Amino acid sequence: MNKGRLLAVAIVVATLALLAIGTIWPVPSAVAYAGGGKGDLLVSPSTPEAAANDLGTQIRLHAWDKAYSSLANKAEFTQSQFIHDLTGYALSLRTYATLDGFEVQPLHQSANDAEVIMKLRWSTVVGTFEDKRDVHVVRSGDHWAVNWPIVPEQHVPPQVIPVNYLRWDVIKSGSGDDWGAQDVEAPHVRIVDMHPVNRADGVVVMGELLNEDVIPAYVSVRATLVAKSGSVLDSEGSFDMISHTLLPKQVTPFVIRFPGIDLSEVGSIRMVPQSVLVSASADPVIEVQNQQYNAPPGATLTGQLSNQSGQTVNVAHVLSSFYDKNGQLVWVAGQYIDRALQPQIPVDFRISVPEDIARKINTERTVVSTYAVGSFQ
Amino acid sequence: MAAVAIHLPLMLMQLPLKSYDTNFHIFFASHYVHHWFDPWNVKWFAGFSQTTYPPLPQQWVALLSWLFGLNMAYMAVQLAAILLLAVGVYRFSRLWVSPRAASYAALASVFLGNESFLVYSAGQLSTTFAAPIYLNALPYFFDWLRYGKWRSLLKACVLLVAAAAAHHATLIFGSAFFALPVIALVLLDGKNEDREADEKPSVQAVIARTVTLTIVVGIAIAVVLLPYWIGLIRYPITQTPIPHPSRASYILSPEWGLNYFLVPYGALILALPFIVIRGAAVARLRPLLLGFWVAFLVGLGGTTPVGKLLLGRAFEVLTFERFSYWAALLALPILGLVIMEFIDRFRLKAAITVALLAASTCTLAVAWSSIRPADAANFDVSSVAQWLNRDGHDRFRYVTLGFGNKLSRLAIMTDANSVDGESNSSRMLPELTKFGGAALTSSKYFAKPGMDSLRAMLAHADRYGLKWVIVRDSYYDPLLYFAGWRQVDELDNKTITVWGKDGVPPATPMNTSQRPPRWQGVLWGTLPFGFSILALLVIWLPEKRSRGFRDDDLPLSTEQTIDGEVIS
Repeated sequence: MNKGRLLAVAIVVATLALLAIGTIWPVPSAVAYAGGGKGDLLVSPSTPEAAANDLGTQIRLHAWDKAYSSLANKAEFTQSQFIHDLTGYALSLRTYATLDGFEVQPLHQSANDAEVIMKLRWSTVVGTFEDKRDVHVVRSGDHWAVNWPIVPEQHVPPQVIPVNYLRWDVIKSGSGDDWGAQDVEAPHVRIVDMHPVNRADGVVVMGELLNEDVIPAYVSVRATLVAKSGSVLDSEGSFDMISHTLLPKQVTPFVIRFPGIDLSEVGSIRMVPQSVLVSASADPVIEVQNQQYNAPPGATLTGQLSNQSGQTVNVAHVLSSFYDKNGQLVWVAGQYIDRALQPQIPVDFRISVPEDIARKINTERTVVSTYAVGSFQ
Repeated sequence: MAAVAIHLPLMLMQLPLKSYDTNFHIFFASHYVHHWFDPWNVKWFAGFSQTTYPPLPQQWVALLSWLFGLNMAYMAVQLAAILLLAVGVYRFSRLWVSPRAASYAALASVFLGNESFLVYSAGQLSTTFAAPIYLNALPYFFDWLRYGKWRSLLKACVLLVAAAAAHHATLIFGSAFFALPVIALVLLDGKNEDREADEKPSVQAVIARTVTLTIVVGIAIAVVLLPYWIGLIRYPITQTPIPHPSRASYILSPEWGLNYFLVPYGALILALPFIVIRGAAVARLRPLLLGFWVAFLVGLGGTTPVGKLLLGRAFEVLTFERFSYWAALLALPILGLVIMEFIDRFRLKAAITVALLAASTCTLAVAWSSIRPADAANFDVSSVAQWLNRDGHDRFRYVTLGFGNKLSRLAIMTDANSVDGESNSSRMLPELTKFGGAALTSSKYFAKPGMDSLRAMLAHADRYGLKWVIVRDSYYDPLLYFAGWRQVDELDNKTITVWGKDGVPPATPMNTSQRPPRWQGVLWGTLPFGFSILALLVIWLPEKRSRGFRDDDLPLSTEQTIDGEVIS
């Protein structure tokens, strides 16, 4: 073989070998775009974990056809039901969520079936949430397939719900005025509690804000940490860790985080509550049911939200205040609900509490703020 | 003529405006129109320096905009780059193959899918502007190495610096993919017994001349792009890498294989076996073949481990469609030879086949910008610009969500400043660099990193005077609602909503420590553009004709056989 042919053959062979290597052991960026988390994309589901991993990959790629057809129990539900189980039956955080990652943990395995836990970490517009499913995996011939634990859609019977909740409208001085620039006095709001704590990732300032006026207020709180020398260390706002719309006499907890700052550096804290008059309605009313504090270890506050109105709430945000036996605020935590709140269908919530704080907790109080598509138009 | 016939109508239709980056280049140019000697631009990232990106093509767009307006000036510069590419490919090919084969290569460059993909889908003006300048410099580089002609050195240096002023990455990687094969060619020819004495420089002479040119060009580029290097040293790029689908495996993710391999290469894929066989068969073509092969493998992104191995961390920063472009340019001389032999053998049938394949390749790559547009929603941002420009709204900064590549278009039209922007290498704000998302306006496409970046920016709205969020994608509404923004207006038949936050202080100048001093602005406005003018002048200096390729350089010429078959 002459040099030219040898070179041509070498280039072809090397190229094919490199393609094979790149496909069998893909670089991390290739794995990410292929939807996998482990880099073993070509492994057939010859184990229960591989079957669950493959399913996770298909879900991540939104390859619904492949995901559904790989299920062992697909005869029990339609592909549409499978998709809606993951993305929500009504418009919610799940609808446009992307699967950021997933983990598969085997529990036990026999010759023909196995139990694994699938932890799906979804990324949404307001943050991430974890969807944990106990999955039964069964052997089907020479491979394994997942029995998907579908959560069926719940229905309520047709009915009429009278709406007679309070509502406040604001007449602006001109149609072109920007929101917040109305020539009226701002509602009177007051910080009724404020408590800074030192955490591993920095200072956390928590408290409660009261609307002591007789009109609704759109509120936020800003805190500025001042060093002992008098210089400003940092200034942050409550962002989404507050219920921004407060009806008359309503109270909202708030949390302001200052990452990377130690409380020992702080000499004083300047708190600035802001309020603006806005239109508001007491509807929709969300009832908190079966609220229960579960003591440590693994302390959580669990309960259910029930939408008492007739309209769908697309996103709900639960904010809970935790108090010690002296009634002192010791912690504030929140959770976005990833499923829409359909009228009268309870949806679970679960808020974790840090272990070191959990032991101090005696009572708790929960508020819910809601977002419904088109509600502010 | 072919380049004009094909690409002029497309430019007159302003087709590149649909691409990913065209508006970004026009935005940079719009700044040079008003502030030629002041690269500090307050419209993005709460203030940034345009010395973070080589300026030459944008400055030409800015200059020509006085005659044609910004859009058509961009088209004119892009068209000039396409025309220059045909010339560059011909001159480069003449080093390797006969004039006739080089002509076919130049003609093929007009139909090259990779070029059309970059022009009409990616909008990479800088890459497509720099590559032809670089290709035109290489014959002078060759002449300098082989004959030691000082005029060739001068021309090579000026053109290479002009190429670097257009796109520094082209020069860095071009040195490996294009210049090394040329050096190898000179050394190979030096061993050729049939060459005359003055065509056979010693290895020492070649090395000395290479080092001389490298030093001269290195110093010149260091001076011409000095503000860029100063900025890079003061503010090294430490931001979290941003995902880019050109780093995917085109086998495991075939949708990206379609986008970054099938569409750009087109019918060239059919010619790959012949390019390898022909390139390997001829000793003189082997360096070129190897250069093509490495660039081709790197251009496959994450399909092979080559890119990651060769580039290291840079693999996570670079995008790889330009490597495929360079690979295609390197293949063109051999392709020209293959086409020539094909036509010699099959005459009219071959000519028709080649023409059809070339036309379909170009058509697909051009049409791809419409089949899979960078921004599916083609909407007018003038209503948003008008809103920002009235009633003192421009006292505050703004950010758009769901605007795609219209972000740059809006920035051109409005007086208001934004904390967002499309130049990833120019941004310094920690909220933008920390998480691994690209422009905030497209946050949702970067999943958690993108949304984390957006949340961080919104959380620090007061710090940046960020009062307005202009939304064309209701996906973001829940975040704005829970984070304390309220809808204040609706525009464009309610397809765009304006959200505001109360209590935000007016925007104040920021990042001023990053602002380049005046002398850097003068340098930036003078030297890169000046070198392009100098390049236009020096290439007219008379020079003895280059003696790169000779007819006896191809051992497998006509009448010879491959695998026992007569090939002509």
